[in-house]
Amino acid sequence: MTDDAATKRWFTQEVLPLERDLVRFIARHCRDGADIADVRQEVYERALTGARADALRSTRAYLFTIARHVLIDRARRAKIVSFEQIADIDTVDWDHDAFAQDRHMTARDELRRAMLGLEQLPPRCREVVRLRKVEGLSIRETADRMGVSHHTIERQLTLGLRALANFMLGGEGRISRPRARSTAAREAER
Amino acid sequence: MSAARDLEQQAAHWLVARDQPDWSADDARALAAWLSDSVAHKAAFWRLEAGWHAADRLAATRGPSTFRTPRRWAPSPIWGIAAALVIACMAALALSQFVPLGGDVPTIRVATAVGARRQVALADGSAVTVNTASTMRASFAAGERRVWLDRGEAYFEVAHDRRHPFVVFAGGRKVTVLGTKFSVRRDGDTVTVAVAEGRVRVEDADPATAERAAIITAGDVAIARGHAMLLADRSEQQVQDALAWRRGVLTFDQVTLEQAAHEFNRYNHRQIRLGDAQAARLRIGGSFEATNIDAFTRLLHDAFGLRIAHDRDGVTIKS
Repeated sequence: MTDDAATKRWFTQEVLPLERDLVRFIARHCRDGADIADVRQEVYERALTGARADALRSTRAYLFTIARHVLIDRARRAKIVSFEQIADIDTVDWDHDAFAQDRHMTARDELRRAMLGLEQLPPRCREVVRLRKVEGLSIRETADRMGVSHHTIERQLTLGLRALANFMLGGEGRISRPRARSTAAREAER
Repeated sequence: MSAARDLEQQAAHWLVARDQPDWSADDARALAAWLSDSVAHKAAFWRLEAGWHAADRLAATRGPSTFRTPRRWAPSPIWGIAAALVIACMAALALSQFVPLGGDVPTIRVATAVGARRQVALADGSAVTVNTASTMRASFAAGERRVWLDRGEAYFEVAHDRRHPFVVFAGGRKVTVLGTKFSVRRDGDTVTVAVAEGRVRVEDADPATAERAAIITAGDVAIARGHAMLLADRSEQQVQDALAWRRGVLTFDQVTLEQAAHEFNRYNHRQIRLGDAQAARLRIGGSFEATNIDAFTRLLHDAFGLRIAHDRDGVTIKS
């Protein structure tokens, strides 16, 4: 990669708007749902490694070809290889809407989706994200306003940021805890 | 956690830190170094950054109070006074966030103005929504969970913790819970407890008479005045309706206009008065925005033909 800024621009403007379709494609060929995020990440890494923005004709075709390779590699690495699985991946179903309309959201779509994503967060997390995004408060100010520790706000904001960003990219926008949250939850219930 | 989620968490930490006022040139260099470490870092960071910025339009949803048209600010000196008052109140509020109460017990104090509503996260993971014109204090010293409702109304979503009961003191009443959702409201010496989920115990705060306790469950409402307590069995829907203020909405089900006016008056400086007994006894139902008196009175005029007279500090409704 020679020019980071150009690569970044290509990645955010050309690749990320395809994420929703890409994830759907991965999900169709991924037996284990938990793997989807890992496959997506690997596809992006390979896409960035091989990216020569000027030489690319169709980002969509490029991205889905990589996705197919990643999925096939993973299937081969798996202990039990199902022949249909690989054959399935090869039935190229990604280009049925190769000429799909521009996937970029309009400003109004974006606001509507952002409000929806915010609404889906748990109450406390939502308030922390709202104070950051809407009121522009810092962590310190938010901690003072809500009467909880700096650490708690930072953690909630990190979780909320991930959930909202994922939602904006077409995901479900669920909170994904960094550590096994259930242990803490079980402790609290005891 | 998967490798991708782990990366995402790291990227989120960078993004959160970069937005803070104490972000330094050293931090920026550290981030640049982290990004150039691997293409995996770039992919995760650029992706999350793009998603997070896509939600920037949320800033457009700032409350109308901050978007007041300048025309209304300019000529009248009253706005200057009002602004000064608001600033004074905010300063007072900021100062009162952590007032030590008798020794060094850390206490959180929350006070709301008329028509305001605030959601507060408590240190134990519980959440409180404080309604209009209310004052609440909370203390979490030594594993205790104690809240005092000095005035007004609050809705509690209590984090479950069997070893540390959550106790609300309000007007000589003590409400004890382990983990549930309920509201407590004070009108002078009358305390009303409504339970949306789970069970709570309501008793006298005075230990001498504390054996007169009542356990109430979801859908129950306890109304206590002095040493007397009335238990009402409502449907869960009715309790939910009574809690509609958390969305800024008042829901009435066949209450008298007098009762409805009393509710509106808790949320507004402009007061609704009833001009005659006939109008006061009229029964109404429906959902209304708590701070929109005009919409409510217009509806009364349109639907019931009541006469609405506006004056300096409110409206009078006559039949």
